[in-house]
Amino acid sequence: MSTPVLAAANVTKSYRLGKREIPVLRGVDLALMPGERVALLGASGAGKSTLLHVLGLLDAPTSGQVLFDGRPVHDLPVAERARLRHEHTGFVFQFYHLIPELTALQNVLLARMMATSTLAYWRTRGAARAAAMDLLAQVGLQDRLHHRPSELSGGERQRVAIARALLAEPKVVLADEPTGNLDSATAAGVVELMFSIQQQRGLAFLLVTHNEDLARRCDRIVRMRDGVVQGEPART
Amino acid sequence: MYRLFLAVRYLLTRPINLLGMAGILVSVWALVVVVSIFSGFLQQIELHVRSASADISVHELPAWAEWTPLERALRDDPNVADTARRLVHYGMLSRPGQRPASPPLLGRSALHGGDQPFLFVLGIDAAAEARVTGFGSWLENPEIPAELRVADRTRPLAADAGRPRVLVGLERLQREGLHRGDTVVLTSGRLQSEPDGQKGLQQVTLELVVAGAFKTHHGGFDGNNVFVDHEVLRAALFPDAPDGVQEIAVRCRDAATLDATATRLQRAVARVLDRGDDRAYGKVQTWREKNGQFLASVEHQRGLLKIVLIVIMVTAAFLMLATLSMMVTEKTSDIGILTAMGATPLGVLQVFLACGLTITAAGVVLGLLLGTVTSVFLEEIRQFVLWATSIDLFPLKVYNLDRVPCAIDPLWLLQVAAMALAVGTVVSAWPAWRAARHDPLVSLRGN
Ligand SMILES: Nc1ncnc2c1ncn2[C@@H]1O[C@H](COP(=O)(O)OP(=O)(O)OP(=O)(O)O)[C@@H](O)[C@H]1O
Ligand SMILES: [Mg+2]
Repeated sequence: MSTPVLAAANVTKSYRLGKREIPVLRGVDLALMPGERVALLGASGAGKSTLLHVLGLLDAPTSGQVLFDGRPVHDLPVAERARLRHEHTGFVFQFYHLIPELTALQNVLLARMMATSTLAYWRTRGAARAAAMDLLAQVGLQDRLHHRPSELSGGERQRVAIARALLAEPKVVLADEPTGNLDSATAAGVVELMFSIQQQRGLAFLLVTHNEDLARRCDRIVRMRDGVVQGEPART
Repeated sequence: MYRLFLAVRYLLTRPINLLGMAGILVSVWALVVVVSIFSGFLQQIELHVRSASADISVHELPAWAEWTPLERALRDDPNVADTARRLVHYGMLSRPGQRPASPPLLGRSALHGGDQPFLFVLGIDAAAEARVTGFGSWLENPEIPAELRVADRTRPLAADAGRPRVLVGLERLQREGLHRGDTVVLTSGRLQSEPDGQKGLQQVTLELVVAGAFKTHHGGFDGNNVFVDHEVLRAALFPDAPDGVQEIAVRCRDAATLDATATRLQRAVARVLDRGDDRAYGKVQTWREKNGQFLASVEHQRGLLKIVLIVIMVTAAFLMLATLSMMVTEKTSDIGILTAMGATPLGVLQVFLACGLTITAAGVVLGLLLGTVTSVFLEEIRQFVLWATSIDLFPLKVYNLDRVPCAIDPLWLLQVAAMALAVGTVVSAWPAWRAARHDPLVSLRGN
């Protein structure tokens, strides 16, 4: 057995509301193998987004461990966690979170700027531009490079977000209801795109969704209930 | 890299931020221009005062002080080139049978002219005075019209057919319509012991012939002083003290060491005037010390203006604070995704700090440039405004100047830049810190 690329080991998370402690995750164990496509299902408020944030090092677990390539990473210093997020994890969210002041191309390029100094970026800007344009072409937006988010449709915006998540060539993509805001036809297109890129690049892929059909197209389904997960095989 | 890139994009899409920049620009501009004018003004005034002063003056001499031993002591100093004695008295100058005109405002210190009918009478030895001060050039000032010039420049105060002469400041002479050769009466007084042992004031009247005009660069000096021959004044006021002296003007060889020289001369004078009564007689001052209060008052005004203008800068900074805060509030939605992409709170802070610093830097650079250009071309600008609107922004005549003064001090430019950058950093830091403390998960969960 190879090591999981990303894993949660007995992770708990509770929020404090005034004097009350609200447990959201109550001991979650979850392992994501390299190249594996996992769906995370569960009722609204079950804690799916919370788990995704903890796995993506955006939020700290109350107890338990987050392991990246078998190495505990949840209590690394802020800058180290930021670097791991940048290098190894791509995020796709329901509401795209594009930066409205930037064009599609600039939004994608921002992922490259994130970790490079001005000088280093300036020297390699040609390569960065080519990579970003290539990715945007892969998601079918070669004609929308210089459009602002406000000039793009919902599906197009999500494609930009996907290209952005992939530019740094992460090992893991964490997607939180990426099609939740799209109509079914557009959603289908976006899903096909994501799955084909995932397969092509051998990405570990955690997909939070409410859609059972979508979930069944993954290697594995994980259901969340009362802050714990229960696994089951997905593909029939 | 993303910090600068985002900062620039954020700023370019929000023209409202130009407001903050304009505020900084205007305040930097004003600090540069106004202080340059004042510094130039101060330089000019110093030049004017200097041109009407001796390098060093010995004054506050006691009534029994004698010229010969004092002069010998002063000349012993290696830096003393020459000395001239003066009598300094007071009086009123009028045409025979006329009263002098009343002054516009009693007691006003005359910055620009001889408006006081009550004036100082300086009894001088013209030849010695010309060696020690600019006296010679005061008589040859090109602004003096030919008919008011002294006839014999080598002996300007020599008696005219037995009648003593007087030199009057050019403006006073013209204002009172006096001509060379006119007779004027100087009315003064002196203390005299009465038979009953009391001291009483005795009127002294001198009939004088106008020898011509003099003009220094210092209007206040010209308007309030007249020159008569030392011997004439002494005989009228102190007939019993042939070697008496009230003030000594000193010219130095090395003008760079006036302060040290003055200190030495002070000791020398004290030695000569030592009566064993534990009192130090006589006061030795450089021209700068002697006019210290006057020069300091202009400097003080410059200081006050600086404070007022710095307050403007702080106000401009508040404007910037408001626009930056608005921007941060609007842009918290981006903080979630930036964090997900690998930004740290410090990075987020730097994005917004870079916004504020870019605004400040742009304002400072433009303000310095514009301020310097304005300062350099002030005279041209004044003339243009005068031509276009017939408004004189800076009436030169009032200050005895021939162009708007301006002295740009690079150190002051640096200070202004540093001040603006400091203020800009402080007002950028607060919104930036607020952005850094914003929970990225709030933006990610939101909508
Ligand atoms: N900052 C917080 N403070 C308190 N409670 C919180 C906080 N963030 C989330 N929660 C709670 O945690 C629980 C899980 O939230 P989470 O967003 O993970 O659910 P979810 O499974 O993603 O739901 P959905 O399907 O609607 O997106 C919810 O009950 C929510 O109210
Ligand atoms: Mg959720």
